[in-house]
Amino acid sequence: MAECDAEWELCKENIQPLRQGRSVSALHQALCQQQEGNHTALNQQKQAFESELRLYDGDDPLDVWVRYIKWTKQTFPQGGKESNLSVLLERTVTRFTADKKYHDDVRYIELWIEFAEGCSDPMDVYRYMQAQGIGTMQAALYIAWSEEYEKRGNIKMADSVFQDGLKCGAEPVEKLHVFHRALQARACRQMMSSMTDQQDDDDDEDVGPAEPQRSSLAELKAKGKKKAVVPINRVNASAGYARGLQFKQPLGPKQNGRLMIFDENKAPETEPQEPKFEIWTAPPIARAKENEQKAEKWTNVKMPLKSRSGLSVAVPPPKPSFQPFVEDDVQPPAVTPCKINPAVNSVLSARKPCRPEQTPLKMLQERQQMMQLQTQEDGKIREQSMYCKELLDSGATEFSFEELRAERYRQQQARKLQTGSGATDDRKPVESNAN
Amino acid sequence: MSLFGTNTAFGSGGTGVFGSTTTDSHNPMKDVEVTSPPDDSISCLAFSPPTMPGNFLIGGSWANDVRCWEVQDNGQTVPKAQQMHTGPVLDVCWSDDGSKVFTASCDKTAKMWDLNSNQTIQIAQHEGPIRTIHWIKAPNYSCVMTGSWDKTLKFWDTRSPNPMMSLQMPERCYCADVVYPMAVVATAERGLIVYQLENQPSEFRRIESPLKHQHRCVAIFKDKQSKPTGFALGSIEGRVAIHYINPPNPAKDNFTFKCHRSNGTNTATPQDIYAVNAISFHPVHGTLATVGSDGRFSFWDKDARTKLKTSEQLDQPITACCFNSNGNIFAYASSYDWSKGHEYYNPQKKNYIFLRNAAEELKPRNKKW
Repeated sequence: MAECDAEWELCKENIQPLRQGRSVSALHQALCQQQEGNHTALNQQKQAFESELRLYDGDDPLDVWVRYIKWTKQTFPQGGKESNLSVLLERTVTRFTADKKYHDDVRYIELWIEFAEGCSDPMDVYRYMQAQGIGTMQAALYIAWSEEYEKRGNIKMADSVFQDGLKCGAEPVEKLHVFHRALQARACRQMMSSMTDQQDDDDDEDVGPAEPQRSSLAELKAKGKKKAVVPINRVNASAGYARGLQFKQPLGPKQNGRLMIFDENKAPETEPQEPKFEIWTAPPIARAKENEQKAEKWTNVKMPLKSRSGLSVAVPPPKPSFQPFVEDDVQPPAVTPCKINPAVNSVLSARKPCRPEQTPLKMLQERQQMMQLQTQEDGKIREQSMYCKELLDSGATEFSFEELRAERYRQQQARKLQTGSGATDDRKPVESNAN
Repeated sequence: MSLFGTNTAFGSGGTGVFGSTTTDSHNPMKDVEVTSPPDDSISCLAFSPPTMPGNFLIGGSWANDVRCWEVQDNGQTVPKAQQMHTGPVLDVCWSDDGSKVFTASCDKTAKMWDLNSNQTIQIAQHEGPIRTIHWIKAPNYSCVMTGSWDKTLKFWDTRSPNPMMSLQMPERCYCADVVYPMAVVATAERGLIVYQLENQPSEFRRIESPLKHQHRCVAIFKDKQSKPTGFALGSIEGRVAIHYINPPNPAKDNFTFKCHRSNGTNTATPQDIYAVNAISFHPVHGTLATVGSDGRFSFWDKDARTKLKTSEQLDQPITACCFNSNGNIFAYASSYDWSKGHEYYNPQKKNYIFLRNAAEELKPRNKKW
């Protein structure tokens, strides 16, 4: 246990905080497992969840997903791609959109909110939720939504969201009131502080309010005789990063008077204060997945199309005149017995167009298109898969027929053991078990 | 030598050519029915290697057993022996001298079956069900390669309880094939890895999948000099990809083709797409056979890029197939592959293994270049 304590100390900053807090024992276990590289227990547990998702036949399928997600968050404290968390959230959320009975389920709404927070534009998600009637009777939606507005500095909209919630009669009302009042208190405080700041504006910029604060993202002032100034080259930040920056901007604009951060939210001032809530037919695009590249045109430069041979990198480099040194103990690289004809080597062969990025928006749109097509005659051959697609794809990862069947077999065996069927022992070993 | 379980009757095919008076669709091709087939779905079939005289067929099934039949020249099949695992058997293979059979099972173990003594011993252990098993005979080593759903590929020398080598894979192993010195493994999430086996197994290349759907089966093919040069990969949605490892012109040489689909020309109804359950290459002609969930088998010539033959439809999916060592016999198994989940599973339905004369039908077409 002591070593696991050390684990925690060593990687505190890598552990993403959870709103409801982390179970200490689970955290220790997760860290120890990762330290030892113990993947098998993890894999087995994951597989168990995946199987449960497919074999579940009760009334509350959401429960399995909720437990799976909870386990994933506890087991992968660092988050990241290994945990598959974003995929899981996305799948859960889109899976039950049509299911009315979950629209007021707190667990489902919380999953939606978590999903929204991971998206590039949570506002779209919240608006979609409202349009679909998901969580419109729950305070959690309005609280999260107004928080998002507050982050962007739009106190007025944040307030109106709360009004909406109260109008709809969202439950629990008390919670809504509490958060609303807190928002109003913060708004007042902000106005007060900005008023007092205006009076202090003439003061030296280095000393803003009472305590000296280093103005962030301003140029570093050189001390001493040398007047070298560090060039600050802020890379064009992604949306999330920029948003994080302007987080400071509205709350304390007077402290960094010189700095003008581009505020993309303020820019389109022509937007009406109450944006029309379009009826969203599909949930918006999921979070900006960083490592997934969109198919883009590489450059606009066109190469003049010479003869075929002109395009290919045909000539192999001339043999060096010296004998390259080969170490004694280096084995010659193992070569698969295939002849490569170096003269014919078209490097840039025609590549099939890659499938555009599948987003939940696109998936739902595609599904709708499919439904429309099936009612029309369009002359194209339509295809129909003759296998249990839903069963194979229900979880975060796919299953094969054999895995499905093996899972079923395993469960049956487990049940047999439980009921203690001792009769099978008496039979001769030659006879096979009929399933 | 033990007879098979008493609940299967010998009555059906003792004399070879099986002719039934009723036109039931369980054997529309009127092929030879193997006697005493397993009681549950057949997952794998393997014929004995050419080093052994005669033809012996091994079949593993979901009834946890592995059975061995002798296939005589007159077409008669004689059950010879049977062994059990404690879980469904997923794959079988022969050693190169034909004296041993290796079996892989859902019970996470692999066993070596000595046919002469009819004894089995466990030779491998994984953390999850073992999906594939292959014998590797290299000039300087011999071993058994097992691919498992625990995402590892392990190599065993059958005498030690610990693997000689263990390679980590990105995902669960779904199918594999070995033709020395090349091995191909297709994994979940459309992963595809080629290994080279000279000196010791190592990863050679990870290939981006030529198919858009789940990988189901893979088989290596050889060039005119009998060297492995590429593989055929089958997916869960009626498509097979032919992929060469180092082709002169990848865009032209590699291709995919649709198979195991229905309603080919009829555009009014949607086309039904079935999974490709297994692929086998003819050892002499280099043509290939595919079997699918639709209950049909097809023969193809990959060089001429044509279909040679498609069978009639059986009333059950075809789950496994293989050729014997000289290519005269094509064996295929008719049983439920679980493609529609457990609701469509009928434990009472009989499972069959059929044998067909493959000498003529798999001759390649004349190439058109």
